[in-house]
Amino acid sequence: MEHLRDLLLQLARPILRTGASLAYAGNWLEDEGNFTFDLLRLISAEQEDNSLGGPDTNIQLGLLYNHSAWPHYLKVTARIEAQWINCCRIVRITQQMAGICDPDLVPDQEATTESARSKFNGAICLSAMRRLTMSPLVLDIPDAPSILIPAIEARIIMGGKVEGFSGFMPGLFEEALVTLEHNKPLFILGGFGGGAQILADGILRSSGNYPSELGLEWHKEKSMNFARFLDETKNFNLPTNVDSSERAFKKLANYLDKANSDAVSTLNTGLSTEDAIQLLTTSNPHQAVKLVRKGLIALGLLPSA
Amino acid sequence: MVSDPTWRHWLSQLRTQGSSKRRAIIPVALDATAYNTPNELRELNFLRPAGLPLTNLNDLLVAYEKHRLNQKTSLEEHQQAETVDSLVRSLLKQLTETLTRLLLPRSKNEVIPSQLNAVDIAPPKVSIFLSHAKADGRVPAQRLRDYIYSQTQMAAFFDENDIAISSVFSKVLNYSLDSPTTAAMIAVRSARYAERPWCRREVSLFRKPQKVDNLSVGVGTNEQWRLHPLIVVEAMDDGCKSLGVPEFGNAPTVRWSTDIPDIEEQIVTRVIRDALLGTYHSALAASIPAEPGKLRLILNWLPDPTTLLHVIRNHPDQELQIIYPGQGLAGAELDILYEFFPQIWFYSFEEILSSVTNYALGRILIRLLP
Repeated sequence: MEHLRDLLLQLARPILRTGASLAYAGNWLEDEGNFTFDLLRLISAEQEDNSLGGPDTNIQLGLLYNHSAWPHYLKVTARIEAQWINCCRIVRITQQMAGICDPDLVPDQEATTESARSKFNGAICLSAMRRLTMSPLVLDIPDAPSILIPAIEARIIMGGKVEGFSGFMPGLFEEALVTLEHNKPLFILGGFGGGAQILADGILRSSGNYPSELGLEWHKEKSMNFARFLDETKNFNLPTNVDSSERAFKKLANYLDKANSDAVSTLNTGLSTEDAIQLLTTSNPHQAVKLVRKGLIALGLLPSA
Repeated sequence: MVSDPTWRHWLSQLRTQGSSKRRAIIPVALDATAYNTPNELRELNFLRPAGLPLTNLNDLLVAYEKHRLNQKTSLEEHQQAETVDSLVRSLLKQLTETLTRLLLPRSKNEVIPSQLNAVDIAPPKVSIFLSHAKADGRVPAQRLRDYIYSQTQMAAFFDENDIAISSVFSKVLNYSLDSPTTAAMIAVRSARYAERPWCRREVSLFRKPQKVDNLSVGVGTNEQWRLHPLIVVEAMDDGCKSLGVPEFGNAPTVRWSTDIPDIEEQIVTRVIRDALLGTYHSALAASIPAEPGKLRLILNWLPDPTTLLHVIRNHPDQELQIIYPGQGLAGAELDILYEFFPQIWFYSFEEILSSVTNYALGRILIRLLP
């Protein structure tokens, strides 16, 4: 996990220094595998360097946008938000924003119950969150100007768990799917394990097989909780902009097939075929960082050095 | 307030809206996150009450309320109440100092560096004059001086430190007493105080009211007078004798005690609060209407014979009205004043600013009674 943390910071720092902002939908727990506080500390340190009159003074620094779906944002206290307000905007994706109609809403105080409805609504909110991040979002603020949350322009994925998820599919897979659906650049760092490696395998199929982790059945067999969840909620209605697990896995498979044929235009990273494949496979952090920067510069999302 | 976007928007507008009016913003940091307010406030110096952060806030507030209502409290609750009380006192103290500093009139000769403007920088430090007899009043005076410099943003005029060697003692003294930044005096009344000429001179000069302005108000003219507050710290040892000091007049007195913790805080906070009130009353004086054919002398302190003699000097035997702050002096005090000054009518601000007619009739009745 330490190598992923270092890789993340190496990627994030130059992006922030160009004034671009980052989006990361991590939770607010200081635990292994969650990099929210690492990113916040990075931004805070960069801001402090910027304010001390050093050589980097007057650089316009980016922020962290932390999209947080119901009910996860209920754990974010006012104090936490106030503590990091200069580094981070928390974007709360409510049940209403996710398209859940009034009769199906779960009161906040019942969010932590293990009822099928509360788990189902939580999964909808996660899916909706990932979809909403791909377009600009306007938040209406009472008695104050609205806040515009910019759309994600490119996504970088690495690591990521494929078990123990609470949505309709592993989060990393769904993020890749919505990015591909919106034809936005998708940088998959497949050489560092986790869900990103599985996605890379799904594109390259170097062993000849499509990874079973990319199929719905594998997850139903692997996790009784997930299977039970699907069974308990099979008759619940989904909002129109949210895919069921079955549909989402199928869509993802289609995109990975496309990428298998044409990685350059499907992944849209601005890299050549050779570089795109190298990014999917390299386990060298410096190489990975270099390729991501190369791609972002080619796309015009980062200034050339 | 820090995290909510509506509050943040409002806070960011605070310094810029209505900028044609003179406005002071005093931010108070009750939590470390206070320094994450929008830039427009963040660049100001925050008040930081002592005793923060508070933990288990609900329990503390319940205990404090019980203590305030004199209800029975456990030992733990008593300690909790003390914690809140300490914070409240610290906040009040700092706020009082800040407001006094803001409200005292600035000297016309104040020099402001060219890269700043008068709105952005705080006025000069408020100074308290410490009058004491070196023979036996030094210890309380030094403790008060040390408290002022270490626990407040004020300055203290203490002749040993503030009159440079070889300078003309009287000139420096007079300059300090007359300075617009000298907001109050603390006179440490030890046994030897009354017999020290310099001490008597200091308090005599300080207790001489200053005429501020003639206020033309409609059809008449009011004279406005100002006097800065004095607190007398009674520091005589048990059994000691001393002459009286008539210049003290009706100035409040606090008994010095080394057994009372924070006695310095009590004294300094009291005198600076009186300075704030005095400034407020001076401002309120502008709203006192004139009465045709009558001369009104408006004071910012409660009158006593010593100070009144200065005020009426230019109007001997003339029928006058003295208008003083508050809701009215006690009957016994008014009787004494009427006895000394039969040609003067005394009215409180409250009486003038509310119904004049009813009080005037009442006043006539008091004068007619034997």
